[in-house]
Amino acid sequence: MSKRPPPDPAAVLRGHRASVMDASFHLSKPLLFTGSADGELRIWDTVQHRTLSSARVHSAAHGITCVASSPLIGANKVISQGRDGTVKCWDIEDGGLSRNPSLTIKTNTYHFCKLSLVKKPSACALQAEGLKYYHEREVRETADSESLEDSGGKAGGSLPECSHTVTEDMHAEGPKYVAIAGEQSHEVEIWDLNTAERFARLPQNCVSGSPNVSANEKGMCMAVQAFLPSKSQGFLNVLAGYEDGSMLWWDIRHSGVPLTSVKFHSEPVFSISIDESCSGGISGAADDKIVMYSLDHSMGSCVVKKEINLERPGIAGTSIRPDCKIAATAGWDHRVRIYNYRKGNALAILKYHHATCNAVSFSTDCKLMASASEDTTVALWELYPPHT
Amino acid sequence: MEDSTKKKREMETKLLEKVSEVISAIKSAKHVDEVVCALHSLALLLFPLDSSLLSGSVDRRYKEQVLSAKVPSEEKRREWWQAFYQGAAFPTLARFLLLDLASNWLACFPLSARIHVYDVFFVDGLATEVVQTLVPCLRQNATDDHDVNSVHSNTERLLVLCLLENDGVLHMAREFWQSKNSFSERLTPVVSRVAQIIASIPDKARLGAPTSLSSHSFFKQITIQLLSVAEEKDEKLFDNGTLCNRSDMGDALLFVGETFSRICRRGSADVISSEITPRVLRHVRSFLSSNIDSSVADVFESDPGSRFWLKMIEAIKDPYAVERLSEQLLHYLAIEHASDVEAYWFFWLLFHQTFKNQTSVRSMFVDKFLHWKIFPICCLRWILQFAVLECPPDASSLTKGLNIRGLLDTVQRLLAVWSKKEYVQSAPMEQQTYLSAAVGLCLEKMSKKDLDETKDVMHLILQGVSCRLESPNNLVRKMASSVALAFSKVIDPKNPLYLDDSCTGDIIDWEFGMPTLEKRNLDTSISKQKDGHESKTSSSAQEKGFTCTAKNAISNNLKSKNKKLSEFKFVDPDEIIDPATLNNESVSDKDDDDNASENSDSSSDSSLQPYDLSDDDTDLKKKISQLVDVVGALRKSDDADGVERALDVAEKLVRASPDELSHLAGDLARTLVQVRCSDLAVEGEEDSAEDKRQRALVALLATCPLESLNTLNKLLYSPNVDISQRIMILDVMTDAAQELANSKTIKPKHQTGPLISSISESQPWFLPSSRGPAGASSWKEISETETLLNWSTRYERELPSKPGQIRRGKTRRWSLRSSNIQESQIEWSHNKFPVYAAAFMLPAMQGFDKKRHGVDLLGRDFIVLGKLIHMLGVCMKCASMHPEASSLAPLLLDLLRSREVCHHKEAYVRRAVLFTASCILVALHPSNVASSLVEGNLELSIGLEWVRTFALQVIESDTDRECYTMAMTCLQLHSEMALQATRALESAETTFKAKGVGLPSNLSKGTIKIPHSIVEL
Repeated sequence: MSKRPPPDPAAVLRGHRASVMDASFHLSKPLLFTGSADGELRIWDTVQHRTLSSARVHSAAHGITCVASSPLIGANKVISQGRDGTVKCWDIEDGGLSRNPSLTIKTNTYHFCKLSLVKKPSACALQAEGLKYYHEREVRETADSESLEDSGGKAGGSLPECSHTVTEDMHAEGPKYVAIAGEQSHEVEIWDLNTAERFARLPQNCVSGSPNVSANEKGMCMAVQAFLPSKSQGFLNVLAGYEDGSMLWWDIRHSGVPLTSVKFHSEPVFSISIDESCSGGISGAADDKIVMYSLDHSMGSCVVKKEINLERPGIAGTSIRPDCKIAATAGWDHRVRIYNYRKGNALAILKYHHATCNAVSFSTDCKLMASASEDTTVALWELYPPHT
Repeated sequence: MEDSTKKKREMETKLLEKVSEVISAIKSAKHVDEVVCALHSLALLLFPLDSSLLSGSVDRRYKEQVLSAKVPSEEKRREWWQAFYQGAAFPTLARFLLLDLASNWLACFPLSARIHVYDVFFVDGLATEVVQTLVPCLRQNATDDHDVNSVHSNTERLLVLCLLENDGVLHMAREFWQSKNSFSERLTPVVSRVAQIIASIPDKARLGAPTSLSSHSFFKQITIQLLSVAEEKDEKLFDNGTLCNRSDMGDALLFVGETFSRICRRGSADVISSEITPRVLRHVRSFLSSNIDSSVADVFESDPGSRFWLKMIEAIKDPYAVERLSEQLLHYLAIEHASDVEAYWFFWLLFHQTFKNQTSVRSMFVDKFLHWKIFPICCLRWILQFAVLECPPDASSLTKGLNIRGLLDTVQRLLAVWSKKEYVQSAPMEQQTYLSAAVGLCLEKMSKKDLDETKDVMHLILQGVSCRLESPNNLVRKMASSVALAFSKVIDPKNPLYLDDSCTGDIIDWEFGMPTLEKRNLDTSISKQKDGHESKTSSSAQEKGFTCTAKNAISNNLKSKNKKLSEFKFVDPDEIIDPATLNNESVSDKDDDDNASENSDSSSDSSLQPYDLSDDDTDLKKKISQLVDVVGALRKSDDADGVERALDVAEKLVRASPDELSHLAGDLARTLVQVRCSDLAVEGEEDSAEDKRQRALVALLATCPLESLNTLNKLLYSPNVDISQRIMILDVMTDAAQELANSKTIKPKHQTGPLISSISESQPWFLPSSRGPAGASSWKEISETETLLNWSTRYERELPSKPGQIRRGKTRRWSLRSSNIQESQIEWSHNKFPVYAAAFMLPAMQGFDKKRHGVDLLGRDFIVLGKLIHMLGVCMKCASMHPEASSLAPLLLDLLRSREVCHHKEAYVRRAVLFTASCILVALHPSNVASSLVEGNLELSIGLEWVRTFALQVIESDTDRECYTMAMTCLQLHSEMALQATRALESAETTFKAKGVGLPSNLSKGTIKIPHSIVEL
């Protein structure tokens, strides 16, 4: 059987003058945010393939590590994380960024770990479950307020608002969280985006006095992904990858001990993605493996679904398309690889970039994928268009 | 007996009287009729004449006399005839008839009279005597009162009439046949004399003689007559049982043999063989078709029709004639497309007696025809079959008989010649091909056992093969590999040794692609193809168990294995092999179904058809962008990838000519020379790697000549490089010289523009220029909120949209540089080479004749020497018409003149010498030649004179054909150069004269010789 040659990019966005570190699509508009290693954040029109605005949001010496947007923080906001120890939240005004960030968090973290906004099971991905889910939400409203006292501490206090955000959907009000590797590099910190205050640390700085040795031994935290599993009753969960290749699943309610600990990789975990239903994910590391796993919150288990061996090691970024059909990885070997997310078989090897790929990202309408690379370009791809 | 001789003498005297009567009558005759009558009276005595035929043409007065003449009885007449021709009467009369009568009276003869009373003496005479009297008249000098022309033409006419139209030769043979009982001893000299005379006729005939007397058609006619007499006589022999047993040959056969040998001596062997071949072949074919399996030899022996052929060659006593004839027979047989079997019996029939009995014939076949002559390959097979194998062949191939000794001897003798290095160097190519084919064909017939019996065959073969494999000539190498293949098949038929990719298949083309006389029949070629195909498949099957002794074979084998591996890899070089997918193949199918049912609302997974997943890592390799890195990578010979990448970029980086190049040039040149491309590259890609390396070196030499030349010249004679590297260095220098000579320079035109532009606007200097489209708003300062310290102030303004501008964006057009930019540049070619000519040539010329460890240009490494000389020639050409050429030329000529160079044993070197000599002739500017003559610079003129003599010498005596043609060209160039130089001298002379300056006195010392006419100054 003669196979089709792999596709070429639908468009290539040029303009960055340094390695493009991250890319993120706007939720609804045809916009793409990209951040580069010289601190420039660009907004691109993904229809016209032109830069709409460009601003240096972090200093050139430090650069941007991560650009993120999420329905949970509102449609017109974008967050940039710099290696200058700050996370800035920007408003998107007419065709450009606000001149000044709406919020600046000084996290004092100077590492490579990309921050993570909270991912929650989306309505579109869980159509079947959706109604039931919302019903449960309604029912749980009251339960949450009761559990507030149970959990105690700061975490509990903010949770009702958190669940409000969920129900109100897309509204920018209310507390928003961001997970990030902490000042102590083996820790994960949760910051509140409304107040710019640190909200939690994982592992919790032990009140009991015995330091959590296990987390410490795992080395630096290299990748985090915060999410709200449907069964966690609105409590924040975080999946964190560490330097030694292990991944810990934290539940904010049990900040001392991780829910579960697995070690799929033999090298530092660089990227963790979780699908829209928050029941599975994919991780990439510096070794020559990509691991797909399923998450079961009730069991607290993380089980390997599929292990994909690579020819050349190093995955800098992973992403799962919102419709959970395909997943993409950004490789150090300049390739973007596409996999069937359900079955885990390889679908395509996209060769365009001529330098390390730093990130891949899918648009919410599943039509586009962006890959950001050290060769200062961002490529837009149209792959397996969803049937709408 | 006594009585008869007495009677005979009486008759002879009577006849003589009669003859003298006739002659005196004719002498006193006043009218032609009297002459006719006189002749008639004599003719009547000898021939059965019908006088009435004559009567019409004579006058009435004589008619009665003619008619009334007394006619003798038949018996009487025969006696008269005998006496007339065997005695002195005929020569006397004939002389008179041919000389006097022919010039005086013959023209007046009526036609019938001429036929009946004049021609009859010759036509119906004793042919042997007639010929002996006729032929000397051809050479009759103009004496006395004879009209030489009419005498000659008459004689020629009579010769044609007697010998050709009346089958005179046939008559002669019969005469010898009939007379053989009585005259056997005495006749032998007569036979050879007659044969000699006959064979000399075409040479004696005048220019204007009838065409039938020209040697080709005359000999052809004679041959046909002789062969027909042979056949006819054979029948008689058969009829006459008693004669059959005579062991000695008839004189007729002797006559045939003598005549044939005379004709062969006169260079017309082809005529004879063209007649013999079809006859014998027809004979053989008819036999072969009727006697399929009975022993053919016996049948031939007992068959009367064959007897003549069996004896014929024996009758030719002259060994030279036999040789010429056999040679021609071979050629004609090849033209006739005889099969092997036919050819064998052909030769058996003609030669087997003599081959058995005469050593000269034996040595002719076994020595001369194998060692000295060149025949088509099919003839070679026949020779081997007949003379060496000595047994009838199969229908398809040569067969080996019982006589192994002969075969082994022959092989040994062939190999003794074949294996000599001198033979390879000096023998013409056709000869070498032929001998190699002979060796190969013999080897094919040998078995391992035979080989063991011989002493040094194996040694000789190895020696011959190895000295051939070194040859620069592809054909010679091919001979070596073919013989080696044949040899390896003898040793072990299962493991043929292929030294060359081109020779595949069982059947070796012993013609080596040389043009052949004979085109193979369609069916044989088809079967050949089929065989080739089969053997190919079988050989590839055998390849795995391939073990060979020869080094080349091993490498070859390795290569083929590599090839296999790489091919295997090539199927799917970099596919991601996911064991999980392999294992889950069946499971995943199920999954698919599951998924499909799950996602029945949306698209099924069939939309997720994978793309082509092949991947390679060519783009991932680290690019080398610094020359230092190139050098470093090249030194790491264990990192094949790195070396390859370095080679990829080397040329480009060198061409960019960075500043550090001059410092690195030496190192880079050295590492590039020492890189082992063949070790690194994948099978089949050595050439590209080699090519890249060479191009990089050429670029290096062209961009940075002095530094890199320094290194390369040192390496050239260094013991640490091998021949291939030396050759490569020379090739690279050649290419670089040419590149430098053809280099183009682009120089931009000087463009002047304002260096200082003034700002005329009345605005503060720190504001940006207000230039721009109309309607732009004024600059506004943007407040920086980020930091308090505001080092730079930012301004912004709004621009109006251009007319026609669509909001969506702007379009940029990319293209190559516009044409007007090119116009502003001038390009001209400029020969940069002469500056470096000395650096290229002198160091290379210094050490060529020194023999050091691993360096032996004059002996073993003659190819390097040839290349070196060629390179020097190219350098000369590149520097042509520049003064450098004339200053370097004497030195180069000195090199060429040294005996070991110009008389080198290898034609390859001599060719290079001739090439370079021609280059020098082309490169010298005539005015430079002239001025060096004027200045008395003897070196150059001596050198040039040497070129001329050398070229002449080559033309006269060189065995190599290419050398010959090159020498011819060289001579031509020399004469042109000499002509130009003399012109330049003449013009110089006139200017000197005009200026009143005399030419220097030593001018006359220099000479330039133009072939044929020597211009001496």
